[in-house]
Amino acid sequence: MSLQVGNVRIDADELAARLGRAFAGELMDVAVQEPDTVVARLAREKVKDVARRLHDLDETPIDSLTLISSVDYVTHLECVYHLYSYAANLYVELHVELPRGRPVVATVSDVWPSADWHEREAWDMMGIVFEGHPDPRRILLKDDWIGHPLRKDYVDDVRNHPYV
Amino acid sequence: MALTDEVKRYLPDGIAARLKYPKLADFERPNVITTTADLVFNWARSHSVFPFQYGLACCAIEMLSSGFARYDIARYGMEVFRPTPRQCDLMIVAGTVNEKMAPVLLRLYEQMAEPKWVISMGACATSGGPFYDGYNVVNGVDKVVPVDVYIPGCPPRPEALFDGMLQLQRKIQQLTFARPEKVEPLYGADAPWHADVIGPQAQFGGRVSKKRLTP
Repeated sequence: MSLQVGNVRIDADELAARLGRAFAGELMDVAVQEPDTVVARLAREKVKDVARRLHDLDETPIDSLTLISSVDYVTHLECVYHLYSYAANLYVELHVELPRGRPVVATVSDVWPSADWHEREAWDMMGIVFEGHPDPRRILLKDDWIGHPLRKDYVDDVRNHPYV
Repeated sequence: MALTDEVKRYLPDGIAARLKYPKLADFERPNVITTTADLVFNWARSHSVFPFQYGLACCAIEMLSSGFARYDIARYGMEVFRPTPRQCDLMIVAGTVNEKMAPVLLRLYEQMAEPKWVISMGACATSGGPFYDGYNVVNGVDKVVPVDVYIPGCPPRPEALFDGMLQLQRKIQQLTFARPEKVEPLYGADAPWHADVIGPQAQFGGRVSKKRLTP
């Protein structure tokens, strides 16, 4: 494994095919969304296992996590992991669907350390619980904030605003 | 030095003009200058304001730019930005105050040396500005600390900041020792944030104001 960016010369179609083979039955709807981005869906029970194996892939390790975004689709929540492989110079997007009632998913901060703050932000703003997170505090709002403001059904609590 | 009408009344005719614009000849022989304590102290205070180097958002960029050579805040004797509240008497709230920052801002204000002033710089600090409806935005820093001068703008240009500071100078020059301004305590002991933020009420001698309590 070399640190040189893009030294494994494959395109997104090839990476999608490889991921589809290596993670058959785990990554669903593997597709190429943009010339450099592979998109896939993933069941939330398999996040931990798949993350570790993606990170430890032989030729094209998906070794960087750029961002974790969270989306409220009203019917359900979704967690999107934006990953990047330095070796292949390609991006991978993992969409993980979460039920609104109990949005719990395993942490990947032990696989990609950069996930730490992103998961705290997703908890803070969207209320997604990351099981096994080393430091599950709020990151942007104050610690005693009530509610998760980026949820579509968020109702502001007057106790959040002592200065009126 | 500004001579108030009150002072001029006790001065002989023609002296006021010469005091304001003294000629060199006036200092060639030993002199006595009669003035008031208010005038001297206010003159000194208003021309050596120490602002607190404390920026919250983009207004801080304008504040810093007014400190550098192009706009040069030193022309007004206010150029010494201090990085600690204990050496300051002017807090320029430059930017959006959010709910998480508000208790910190209040604590910093408490740590500043008396007498102290607050300038609310820009739309955000004055009223919440474009973020008025934001879930995490305090709609005006005057909900947290008392504000002396409001500067509109988004962000205000350095010239506007200077204008606000000159207004503040004028305000400082109106202070007097003889009839001290009646200072209302900021908050009561039963204010909801009080226990968390500042601790015991000791420094205000147990005075409780019902006016500023949250509903």
